[in-house]
Amino acid sequence: MAKVQPAIVGVGYCGHAAKRSDVNMGEMVNEAINDCLKSVPSLEWKNIDCVINGNMPAFEGANMPELWMTDHIAAKNKPFMRVTTGGTTGGSIMIAAYYAVASGMYDTVLALAFEQQSCGNTTVGLASVALGEFSIFPDLGYDYDKLRRNMGAGAAIGIASYQGMNYMRRSGATEEDLARVVVQNRRNAAKTWWAHLKMPTITIEDVLDTPYISYPLRYGMVCPATDGAVAAIITTEEKAKDFADIPVYINGVGSYSNETAIVGIDCGGAGQVDPCEQLGAVKSAEVAYGQAGISFPNKEIDYAEVYSPFPNQELQWVERVGLFEPNTAPEAYKNGVTAWNGELPVNCSGGVNSTNAIGASAMERPTEAALQIMGKASNQVPKTVHTSLGHGWGGAISLITHVVMADEPQRKFK
Amino acid sequence: MSPLPPYEKTTYVKTRTLKANWFLGSYRYKFNLSRTKVFLEGLKNKKILGLKCRSCNTVSFPPRLICGRCLVKPDQWVLLPETASIATGSATYDEDDKDRERPFPVIAVRQDGSDTCWVSNLPDDIDFKSIYIGMPLKVNWAEKPQGLWNDIFNYEPIPDPAVELNKKEGSHS
Repeated sequence: MAKVQPAIVGVGYCGHAAKRSDVNMGEMVNEAINDCLKSVPSLEWKNIDCVINGNMPAFEGANMPELWMTDHIAAKNKPFMRVTTGGTTGGSIMIAAYYAVASGMYDTVLALAFEQQSCGNTTVGLASVALGEFSIFPDLGYDYDKLRRNMGAGAAIGIASYQGMNYMRRSGATEEDLARVVVQNRRNAAKTWWAHLKMPTITIEDVLDTPYISYPLRYGMVCPATDGAVAAIITTEEKAKDFADIPVYINGVGSYSNETAIVGIDCGGAGQVDPCEQLGAVKSAEVAYGQAGISFPNKEIDYAEVYSPFPNQELQWVERVGLFEPNTAPEAYKNGVTAWNGELPVNCSGGVNSTNAIGASAMERPTEAALQIMGKASNQVPKTVHTSLGHGWGGAISLITHVVMADEPQRKFK
Repeated sequence: MSPLPPYEKTTYVKTRTLKANWFLGSYRYKFNLSRTKVFLEGLKNKKILGLKCRSCNTVSFPPRLICGRCLVKPDQWVLLPETASIATGSATYDEDDKDRERPFPVIAVRQDGSDTCWVSNLPDDIDFKSIYIGMPLKVNWAEKPQGLWNDIFNYEPIPDPAVELNKKEGSHS
């Protein structure tokens, strides 16, 4: 249990786009910090005690960018830390900031996550993760043509298409159900000022008319590569009351890992025979809800942001984190339960499906969920949000982070 | 096929840009293949071996160095049947023997009697949309097994009795 109750008081974004050609990495992050500080007028640069930042390693071609952009992020002579855990980098930054405040070490922490993918080549970053593993195959007598063909369906979209195949088998979801999720996300993105793929007029037919990129996922269903940054201020309960009208209390965090993808460690195969089972997500959600004192997430959570670069994952995650009964999500999306004005709105910022600045994506989930509680989100839902959830997925396809937030502090049990 | 509707773009002025290259240097990735010696020897004799953890009875195919549940080294070899089933699958685009690019099925197979799965291939003439999870398969051996992974050349589908059963009841699988 937290020694000090951490709370989010301010959130800021820079404009996200495929190519932020007008700024460099430092300037882009600076935009997000300035936007963040604008939302907390009584806080100055000097009041920040600690800076925690992160992005995907080597995706921009520049390694350790935080070391040369210290001036841009006001981290001079301050405790400074970089967290990087792949796709969940943002979620891990949020959790690191939570720990920094909850432990009583620092009062006010600036959490930063960014990615300028247009600068570099994503393959360089991925190669450092996967190439070593793949080089074992020829050693075991696996021929090159076969390897190329099998691993061609690999990487992030590969595992998503495997998950999609299993999810569709389990729940009976059709491609139309997947397209419906995309349409909801892209239309929501059109109402969010910082989002990337804003498509206010997109229809299900438009999505189903595009070619397959990796069966069962089509070109129109896939997330973009984005440049963008996000910043958030996390502080103690006492200070939060001065800084913000409605501080958002972080009541529970969870971060669990499960089996890696299909190839496994050193060609060991995958222990997770069903890729959409996701026991890590179930466990992580359980722990985060337990800390926040939530027994019935499907009734108590008012708003959720899940990490879903691909539409089948959105359906899968909302079930695994306990917001819907297994295999009922496609029906709920059809009936508009998860729409902007529905009972349980999901991803009203457009989600990762519309904006994917990889390092920042997992942090945009909890920050957007926090803004919905504050009532300051671009695409603010009509209902009052008391409790919200921000979820992240990534790592070696298996690390899952959860941040559960509410407008009242953690319930203390005696 | 029509393109997606255009999205609302914001245009940004271009700042000064310097192009540079970053070549990955060489590195040494270390791995332990001691467990595969018996396994590859088995393949040479057309035997499929799984490695069983004595603590939790999990059988891994391909063999694993360590059992993630019990943190012990599995050391009991078990003989597995030649049949398997599809655990999950997708499609990949590649050139066929006539240099045309077309989708091929890529599958993860769970060998019967094992608890883990592994990527493999189906024969090229199978339509990627016809595969389904739980589809029964049989090992297709290479002509001359040499004690390499490639000795399991690919898997070929065998008749699924469940399809007939479900037809009789008038339900679809």
